[in-house]
Amino acid sequence: MPGIQADGLEKKFGSMTAVDRLSFEVEEGEVFGLLGPNGAGKTTTVRILACLISPTRGSAKVCGFMVTEQPSLVRERVGVLTENPCLYERLTAYENMEFFAEAYGISIKAERNERIRELLDFFELWDRRADKVAALSKGMKQKLAIARALVHKPPVLLLDEPTAGLDPESAKEVRDMVTQLSRREKRAILLSTHRLEDAEKLCNHVMIIDRGRSVATGTPESLRKKLGKTPVLEVTLQPGSVTLVQDAIRRVESVRAVTADGPRLLITLDDPDSATPKVVGAIVRAGGQVLSVNLPKPSLEETYLKLIRRAS
Amino acid sequence: MVRLRKVALVFLKDWLEIRRNGEVLLPLLIVPLLFAVMLPIIAVLPTLAIPSWASSEGLLTLVKALPGQVREQIAGMTGQQAIVYIMALYLFAPVFLIIPIMASSVIASDSFAGEKERKTIEALLATPLSDGEMLLGKMLVSFAPAVIVTAAAFAVYSVVVDYLTFSMFGGRLLFPNTIWLSLIFGLSPSLAFADIGLTVIISARVKGVKEAQQISALLLIPLVAAVLGQASGAMALDPSLVTTTTMLLVAFDIIIFVASVKAFGRGRILARLS
Repeated sequence: MPGIQADGLEKKFGSMTAVDRLSFEVEEGEVFGLLGPNGAGKTTTVRILACLISPTRGSAKVCGFMVTEQPSLVRERVGVLTENPCLYERLTAYENMEFFAEAYGISIKAERNERIRELLDFFELWDRRADKVAALSKGMKQKLAIARALVHKPPVLLLDEPTAGLDPESAKEVRDMVTQLSRREKRAILLSTHRLEDAEKLCNHVMIIDRGRSVATGTPESLRKKLGKTPVLEVTLQPGSVTLVQDAIRRVESVRAVTADGPRLLITLDDPDSATPKVVGAIVRAGGQVLSVNLPKPSLEETYLKLIRRAS
Repeated sequence: MVRLRKVALVFLKDWLEIRRNGEVLLPLLIVPLLFAVMLPIIAVLPTLAIPSWASSEGLLTLVKALPGQVREQIAGMTGQQAIVYIMALYLFAPVFLIIPIMASSVIASDSFAGEKERKTIEALLATPLSDGEMLLGKMLVSFAPAVIVTAAAFAVYSVVVDYLTFSMFGGRLLFPNTIWLSLIFGLSPSLAFADIGLTVIISARVKGVKEAQQISALLLIPLVAAVLGQASGAMALDPSLVTTTTMLLVAFDIIIFVASVKAFGRGRILARLS
């Protein structure tokens, strides 16, 4: 059973459509990215799945429970990292954890203490447990908010901009933690972000949304392939062998064009994964001496910008 | 279904926050203390310092304007005794009711509108706690201190008045008295509850603590009217009036509680935040 199933989700605020017929599934152990600019409808989608607001149309299930019909069962199974850390600044890190642990149903004190210790240790916050949240750095608050979302061991995690405002080191720690939670602990994770780096490094599947509507869905790799520029293979040869090999390269299937740029050949290909070894083999057989081979991949950023501009 | 353990959880969390919030705690302690100590001094000291005031034209005018019931109570008293009795037992009674309104308004605004202002409400609403558990926990954390502070202030007020007037009234204690007891333990709690309900409804619509406090202070208007009514003799705070007002307030409390339950829905709160 998928952790999350959204089917034609729609949310309107007055005449404004914040989420426009979104459908997607997030399997156990998968990180699904909702990628889009500010105001794209990412946070609204997270709020619908967390049973904080109701959809205007469409339906969604979390662990098989309908968000509109069985909200309390959904809430028990979901860990939410909201857009803001949403921590009580006058309470200590430990007091915050304790309140949420009990609110999420961990009623046995010893069990609660053990879980809190485990999480605060993991996030390296145990030594700061007695400090009021107001005294913690932004990165620490974000880690504490993630620890809070995990306190009841939810099978589904909704993470809204988990690395927003963090320094590169803290952002990496959070990304590592998300990877671990999906791969090792097999949680279904919905990650809402406008940071392409997060989507590229963490997500198995990505849905790019703009003004509430899905503009593309797929793996980061498939989106790159589908919407990136035609791949160009760069081969640098020993000076003098460039003219020798060009005809041999053109005879390789899926090679579309070959242009020389000094000792470098730029080879346009249809299918770089299968054609690259053939091209290199043809060069060697034709007597060329290869110094380097490089296949620059189009980035997800390029794909994203192209889609968002197209949608606008 | 409302689980009492979860209600207590919300109550204790909010109470911990209130205890560490000087902006809430200071008015909660200082205003009642000032009322409890300053009002008796205002009632007694002028008559001791300027004995002629007790037989002045102003006092006679005030006494004439008082309802017959009060005039009966002060019949046979000296001018000094009469003025102290009128002020301490009669005129200051509605003024004292400011305490439960102030206390409940300050705490309830911080508890309800404060969660929105500090952006902590979303994580709270994402928990499996029911709307009823959150609402009840938060209402109780506003109600209990308001009632306790009012009762404590009344105890201090009684002691100070009795201490200052003990010899003046020949060893007779003015407090506790029936009207004040019904005022403190009947009218004050129902007034505090009404204010909390009003604050919940207002907090669902405003974004900040200050706005919520300012609007919920509207309940002070009937109180000011009561003070003026007492001073002008238009009304007398007798046991029957206190009982009737308390009963009316309890009915109002029920209506406002139903309205506050409706106002405190997850969807409504977040729709306004979105």
